[in-house]
Amino acid sequence: MSCLNGTDCRETAKRRSALAVLALMLAIFLLLSAWSFLPSRNQVVPDDIQYGGASAVEGKRVFQAYNCMGCHTIVGNGAYFGPDLTRIHAEAGPAWLAAFLPSAGGWPTSAAVRVQLQNPAIREDAGTDDLQAYLQRYPGAAERLEQRAGQHSLMPNLPLNAHEVAALIAFLKYTSSMHTEGWPPKPHANRRVPASWAPKAPMAGNGAAAGQTAAAASSPAPSSAGAQPQDLVARGRQLVSDLGCVACHATDQKRTVGPGWGQLAGHEVQLADGTTVTADEAYLARSIRQPDAQIVAGYPPHVMPSYDALIDEADMKAIVAYLNSL
Amino acid sequence: MIKIDYQTQRLSLRFFLLMLVLFGFQVLFGLLIAVQHVDPRLLSGILNFNVLRAEHTNLGILWILSGFIGTILFVGPLLSRRELAAPGLIRFLFWALLAVTLWNIATQSLAARGVAGWWLGQPWLQEGLEYLEAGRAADIVIFVGFAILAWVVLRTFPARREWNEIHWGLAIGVSALTFVWLFGVFFVERLDLQEYFRWYVVHYWVEGVWEVIHISLVGFLLVLMFKADVKAVGYAVFWGVAMVWLSGLIGNAHHYFWIGTPEFWQFWGSLFSALEPLPLVFCFWHIYLDAHQDRRPLENAPAFYFILGSVVLEQVGAGILGFTMTFALTNVWSHGTWVTPSHAHLALFGTFGMLGIASAYYAIPLLRGVKDFDQRLGRIAFWLVFAGMLGIAFAFAIGGTIQVFLYRSMGLSWFGGQVFPAMQFYKVLVPVFGLVFLAGAGLLVYDLLTLGLRARGAPQPRKTFRPADPGRWRRTLHGTEAGLWLAGMWIFGAFITLGLLSFNLDAVALGDPTIPYILAGLGYPGLLLITLLFVWRFLASLEARPAPETAAPGMDQAIDQAARA
Repeated sequence: MSCLNGTDCRETAKRRSALAVLALMLAIFLLLSAWSFLPSRNQVVPDDIQYGGASAVEGKRVFQAYNCMGCHTIVGNGAYFGPDLTRIHAEAGPAWLAAFLPSAGGWPTSAAVRVQLQNPAIREDAGTDDLQAYLQRYPGAAERLEQRAGQHSLMPNLPLNAHEVAALIAFLKYTSSMHTEGWPPKPHANRRVPASWAPKAPMAGNGAAAGQTAAAASSPAPSSAGAQPQDLVARGRQLVSDLGCVACHATDQKRTVGPGWGQLAGHEVQLADGTTVTADEAYLARSIRQPDAQIVAGYPPHVMPSYDALIDEADMKAIVAYLNSL
Repeated sequence: MIKIDYQTQRLSLRFFLLMLVLFGFQVLFGLLIAVQHVDPRLLSGILNFNVLRAEHTNLGILWILSGFIGTILFVGPLLSRRELAAPGLIRFLFWALLAVTLWNIATQSLAARGVAGWWLGQPWLQEGLEYLEAGRAADIVIFVGFAILAWVVLRTFPARREWNEIHWGLAIGVSALTFVWLFGVFFVERLDLQEYFRWYVVHYWVEGVWEVIHISLVGFLLVLMFKADVKAVGYAVFWGVAMVWLSGLIGNAHHYFWIGTPEFWQFWGSLFSALEPLPLVFCFWHIYLDAHQDRRPLENAPAFYFILGSVVLEQVGAGILGFTMTFALTNVWSHGTWVTPSHAHLALFGTFGMLGIASAYYAIPLLRGVKDFDQRLGRIAFWLVFAGMLGIAFAFAIGGTIQVFLYRSMGLSWFGGQVFPAMQFYKVLVPVFGLVFLAGAGLLVYDLLTLGLRARGAPQPRKTFRPADPGRWRRTLHGTEAGLWLAGMWIFGAFITLGLLSFNLDAVALGDPTIPYILAGLGYPGLLLITLLFVWRFLASLEARPAPETAAPGMDQAIDQAARA
């Protein structure tokens, strides 16, 4: 409506053509958008992805409910506080995720990952129940075990129940199989990481190197029959660390993910079904071998996996001795 | 200076005050999460980072909206030459805004327990999507609020044939604000489709709606402050808005590079979003022209400081820093790293936040009937928040460049102990500059909240006299010089762009970060420093203008002279 200096600058006509170009752009944009989501593009959709009885859609609901992108990024969008999660299922695999997610405050040990490999859903998804084969297939898991196993993580523990964990893994499996036009960029195969930032060798005693199984590698030789009680307790302490138990259980009475161990042995425990048991040695051993047999009141079931296959009688004795000492 | 002619203009005061309070809290939340970046264990498990960040981003949006509403209510009657329609609805809008803010702050904390309030397939309490964290319940209230605002504005405006471009800009702005919001109120199962629609809200709000409201309001404030010609401003508003949409409509494609949508978006996004700075250059140029309209010293220095800050940071934060990462070949590196919050902080606080503060500085003295107010606090506050935000952007940008190299090029792990400590120095810099920002924010919140209410015994602003020769730094800023400053900013922007581009080089991919580090090390500090110096130069030039009616020959009147009635 206005033209500077009152000259005839054909302002109205110019404005009309600007609006016409705008309409053309709108048409282009809508056309490109429709094209983007045609089925012929073969982009994976969450309805098609299942894991452990949960669909990726359920997982997306969990992902949003915990506001995961408030710390992490997904397809690069989010908060840059934690790492990007788009490819984490492809890198670290379902067993590592299943070991990590319920007790995110601690990095899983290789024993914790091995325990998860006994889960049929994970075995099926990963295509193996052998830790070595798993680590070969998921180098991200090998790297994580090598560098951080057993250490504290910087993520808080979240109250994820077993189904939510499965749903999240389904969602992350979905994002891993999404075609994102090559993002994130892959590091060059022949890169030389500047020395000052090269990954440091794992610290001694910090869980196990990828090629080893933690429990076997770093625990002392099987105790002889005449072992001192003090040795037994020390061995138990080493075992619960190697097995990754302390990612979920505090050594005092605090609740982390599972119940704390302090003042536990020999005391009354209230169970979810309303009954009460005494935490004797048999109870402690059973809780480790069949965690879902007796659930402590106030805790969800199916969070702790069974450690039956990883712990022989002698090791169990040591662990129970350690628990008795707390 | 104008008087308050319309009683309903007074309704804007409560929105300005709410804006200031929310702004204060937003800065505190921001400082808290900045410290959490330095020590992630701080408050972990009690107030998790994602909860505090959701408060930080949501409050940021809410106070900017509150400032917009206040400004629109203040200028609405002036544009329409009549009282606002439905003042009762506006009072309701205020309480609704306050209630939804408190509700949203409370419900965000449910994310720590994974409670989203699923019902009818929708998350009613909070939904954990960046910038759209509010749950459906709040979304609906917000939608109703936008609808009320749009209705009030459209009802207040005169008949359509009397509209000039400012009317059109505001009317389209408030209507689109309401419309675009609707794309964010559905749970979408597919991640790619959800991100597609999430950017409808985020990008089209910022790039399509807020920008339009921003251009219209800046234009009208310039008319009010400098008696700029409405026709000239209207011309600028039309072509500003037209360019915003011509570039920004398809420019949204720069969010569709890596979310699972097809590759062709990389072409469209790179092409059109590279044009997005054009309207900002145009707006920048117009503020230069309009501010020189009446050639008198500033009456209300803080208000103009913040308008200038808004337009300059729009140019630098949104225009230049946005440009650097808008190409598929640079965005592939910057995406999802600290490089992006550098742009986001400057652009969002700079462009929209500073406009709200500028309006508050313009309106509150008028609303409270203050003829003289001590403008020193406002000016100091401006320099503190301006420098603080430039510093924060610097820390994010350099930290982000290191992050790109170690995390993306070298593939080092995040918390495994390499990326995190490498960025630590810049992580510390964020809260350090954050404290500077906090000091400025606290000062301006205090100043504006108590303006006109403080003890009258406060020392009156003195008239200081300066020597006749204003010196080179304070001489009149001519067009050529302003153009050179602008060119300088873009040259540093080119360094940054080349720096991001250089991550594609084989040498960098093989482990030598020298080229990107040098280019970023020149580009970012250079850009931010030249921005600081330019604003200083611009304001020095304005303040050195002689005031025609009172200045003795050879004597320049000081800028802290109170606003004349």
